[in-house]
Amino acid sequence: MRHLFLIAVAIILASQLTIASAKASGAEQVYKFYCAQCHGLTGKGDGPNVTKDFPVSPRNFTNAAEMNKLSDADMRNVIMDGGPSASKSPMMPPWGKTLTDAEVNGLIKHLRTLCQCKGKQG
Amino acid sequence: MRHLILATLSTVALFAATTMATMGAANASAGGDVFAAKGCADCHYTQGPAREKTIDDQLAKKGPELWYAGSKFQKDWLGKWLTDPKPIRPMKFGSLTVENPADHPKLSGGDVAAVTDFLMGLTSADVAAGKVKPKKNPKGRQIFSKKMPCSGCHQYVGRKKKIMGGRSGPSLVEAGVRLNPDWILAYLQKPKVFKPVKMMPVFVGLLSDKDMLNVSRYVANFKPKKKKK
Repeated sequence: MRHLFLIAVAIILASQLTIASAKASGAEQVYKFYCAQCHGLTGKGDGPNVTKDFPVSPRNFTNAAEMNKLSDADMRNVIMDGGPSASKSPMMPPWGKTLTDAEVNGLIKHLRTLCQCKGKQG
Repeated sequence: MRHLILATLSTVALFAATTMATMGAANASAGGDVFAAKGCADCHYTQGPAREKTIDDQLAKKGPELWYAGSKFQKDWLGKWLTDPKPIRPMKFGSLTVENPADHPKLSGGDVAAVTDFLMGLTSADVAAGKVKPKKNPKGRQIFSKKMPCSGCHQYVGRKKKIMGGRSGPSLVEAGVRLNPDWILAYLQKPKVFKPVKMMPVFVGLLSDKDMLNVSRYVANFKPKKKKK
């Protein structure tokens, strides 16, 4: 009976881990599909749109010092409503009508993994 | 006598119209056969509605969907492009790292007209005809290059005929020769119908119908400048 219980617990834990990793890869995929065009696949702000004519420098997500100045709420605001909502360039589109809430939440977590920083709290 | 001539002329005209329509349909049907035989369907699907539901679905495609090609493209341009396919996208379809290899197969001879007829027969009821008249449009220009980030991903001809703009989306240089102006508007207004999963943001709810009309007029006016005589 005890063995059966342990096996059941192990199965539940394994399935939770699988779901968690699927979600993580989902966020990375969302990032690479929508954001990497300008911010680059590794987040350095060097996507294929950034030619010498590009009017601004897309944010480098691997710059922890700069990324730490932003709270998660700041990032959500810019993702949803675009650059001008934070007095930044309109080259950053408003994604609020494109992405789901879950995708935006996933993106914010992914950006935190790129900068390896927690950001401004509160 | 006059009635007889009119009746004869009407019959001839009707016969000619029916014959041309039949020939067109036959040519389109032949074009469908060429499309299949040449392997075009390996990269392009031609039966709507849109199938993509996830990013994986979109990334699995090797080329753009063509089920509404007849509503999207201009016939003259399509025939020329099939003969001499120059890249429309700077990057390889679906890639952010690989340049467009410019290796799209070419068609020649009677295949060109047949495939053009086939593709022009693939239309969407979601494209309303006669809505967009291409014209210089300062409001559209303002939205395209200042208010919204269109130029961030799409190339266009800027000042001093310089090609400007980003490289992840299809180029819009001479888009007015390639695209049906009414399709541009329909695509902005109903993105989920044509491309449910795409790298371009949805602008429904962000731009008004009037703004979308202005942008469509502006983009539809991207044409080569006429040479001064």
